[in-house]
Amino acid sequence: MNAIAVQGISKRFGEHQAVDEVSITVPKGSIYGFIGPNGSGKTTTIRMIMNILVPDSGTVSVLGHTRASDFRDDVGYLPEERGLYKKMTVGRVLRYYGQLKGKPITEIDKEMKEWLARLQLSDWADKKVEQLSKGMAQKVQFIASVISQPELLILDEPFSGLDPVNAEALKDAVLELRSRGTTIVFSTHDMNAAERLCERIFMIFKGRTVLDGTLDEIQKEYALDTVRVRVTGGAPMLTGLPSVESVNDHGNYQDVRLTGDPQAFLQQLVQKTAVQQFEIKKPSLHDIFVRIARPAEADLTAAALGAN
Amino acid sequence: MSRVLIVAKSEFLTLVKTKAFIISIILMPVLMGAFFLFMSFAARNIDVETRPFAVIDGTGVLFEPLRAAATVRNAQAITDGERTGPEFVPSKVATDMRSSDDLKLELSEQVRTKKLFAFVEIPADVITATGGGVSSVRYYAENTTYEPLPRWLQAALNEEITKLRFDGAGIDQDLIARLNTRIPLSTFGLVERTTDGTVTEAVEVDELARALVPGFFLILMFMTVMTSAQHLLNAIIEEKMSKISEVLLGSVTPVQLLMGKLFGVVGVALLLTFVYFSGALYALFSSGRWDLFDPALLAWFVVFVVCAALLYGSVFLALGSACSDLKDAQSMMQPAIILLLLAYMGSFVVIQNPESNIAIGMSFFPTMTPFAMMLRMAMPPGPPMWHVLLSLAGLIGTTAFCLWAASRIFRVGILMQGKAPTLPELLKWIRA
Repeated sequence: MNAIAVQGISKRFGEHQAVDEVSITVPKGSIYGFIGPNGSGKTTTIRMIMNILVPDSGTVSVLGHTRASDFRDDVGYLPEERGLYKKMTVGRVLRYYGQLKGKPITEIDKEMKEWLARLQLSDWADKKVEQLSKGMAQKVQFIASVISQPELLILDEPFSGLDPVNAEALKDAVLELRSRGTTIVFSTHDMNAAERLCERIFMIFKGRTVLDGTLDEIQKEYALDTVRVRVTGGAPMLTGLPSVESVNDHGNYQDVRLTGDPQAFLQQLVQKTAVQQFEIKKPSLHDIFVRIARPAEADLTAAALGAN
Repeated sequence: MSRVLIVAKSEFLTLVKTKAFIISIILMPVLMGAFFLFMSFAARNIDVETRPFAVIDGTGVLFEPLRAAATVRNAQAITDGERTGPEFVPSKVATDMRSSDDLKLELSEQVRTKKLFAFVEIPADVITATGGGVSSVRYYAENTTYEPLPRWLQAALNEEITKLRFDGAGIDQDLIARLNTRIPLSTFGLVERTTDGTVTEAVEVDELARALVPGFFLILMFMTVMTSAQHLLNAIIEEKMSKISEVLLGSVTPVQLLMGKLFGVVGVALLLTFVYFSGALYALFSSGRWDLFDPALLAWFVVFVVCAALLYGSVFLALGSACSDLKDAQSMMQPAIILLLLAYMGSFVVIQNPESNIAIGMSFFPTMTPFAMMLRMAMPPGPPMWHVLLSLAGLIGTTAFCLWAASRIFRVGILMQGKAPTLPELLKWIRA
């Protein structure tokens, strides 16, 4: 069974099409990474999954339910814009958030004790939120989203603004939850974290789905068009070859993006110069992300120039 | 429903635990009590100075009676051997053939050097002159705002002059006083025949019942609504500014959140009502004025205060949810605050004449109903029951509409950041 099954949802704000015909299927028990540049529709999609926003069209089913009231208590949600009541104590905030998920106080207290200890916050349970450092507050926010022991956990940018130590602690916590059987969906800009943690990656860009699959599938799809070469004569030898789309010159070697078959390109290259190294490159998620999202910057620049 | 109650409980506890609330609920009556105590203490004790003043007596006969009157008055200003008022010490000025101007200049100098507090000039013809040609007694002082001395002088001189005039005309002043005795007028309610046929004694209306009871209802209603609405506004702005709203919306619907908050402040309104009524009942009990307590009025007050808290609360909450910071909220709130102030200020018209057309009209205007109708009910003869029920129906209808509209605005507003919406935008949110 799927934890999330979204079919062709769209959302428009005035003139702006924020999400356009997006479909996502998140299998139960998986860690699903949600990537995309700022303003691409990630948060809007997550809000529609959480029924905070209602889609203009399409259907959302979470944990087998289409009505939010049927699944809301079993879903933990850490929004990108998150906060805590400054004047409340850590314990009271966590109890309040837990109670809103319908959990009895005894269970909340047990869970709270465990999580506070795990994230080294045990001494802070009776302190007011305003006394916490930013990193501590973020950890408390994370605990607030998992205190109800949800079946599905949706984390919007959980690692942003955390120092490496705290980010690591949170990543471990996510893996621990995964081992307990919790399905986890998180959106992130941190491609390393996504690559390391996620079994499946979903990328949304300009409101549309551009990537959806396992990391292997995605890398295979994008692998064939980039090669790393080291040739006598360097970068100038690569220009003018028919299938070269762009060259990223690193000095001693060059990354070449191709429009055609790498084997044909190798034959052309051998005829032109001596080839010391030829490697079909497995692109990192970061490379793929940048490759998909970069035209947006070009569009923006063009728009800015047009406006001027 | 349980989620609504969880939100309500949290909201209630958050508000009643704030220092501002504790101060308002406990310290406010204490401060007011202390203020009244201080005022009465100050009134008794503020002025125990000796006030020497000079008298230029043109008539030659008024000084002695004036001195005698001052002696009597000074004796009255001593309670249990302790002085509770100023002492007036008149001294006669010998004219010594000096010109009036020289004399007044010299006396003015004495006032400046604090040897005298004031001086008074009584014209020679003040006893004989009558009708339009009466000369005035002239009072000179550096501190011209000081009232007790000139007030006393005017009364004492007039009494003495009148007496001299009557004596001059050969009329017995005691007889005149007897014949002139004024009769008091007391106000009563209407006489009724009870079910067993006896005629009930009409109740004498006293000022306490006429003004104090409605005034108490009015102030309590205003204070409760203001406290609740202000808290809701601050709470919703805090949630928006601290980005808490979306966390909450992951667990409850906007309507549950809205209703929870409103129920929380209704709880606070009831707590305030309970505390202040307990205080008022204690005051009535200790002063033996049980007759002023009417359980039916208390019950109506609870109904009206709940409606008012919901009505104004939903408006403040909706507007607050549409703003992103306190500054925006303050300008956005102005129309709502004016509405509330109008209801409060307008109520003084009702107190003056609860049966006037304007008072009746106001009691049917939903935003004013909780104030105006409550006052009409608290003052005799009271409105007919159909007035009360009709206005209540209007109030409940309006409250229901505001709750609905507020939930529509709230749904959109709570996730909005940045510029506050304009009125047309708000209307669009409601219709969306």
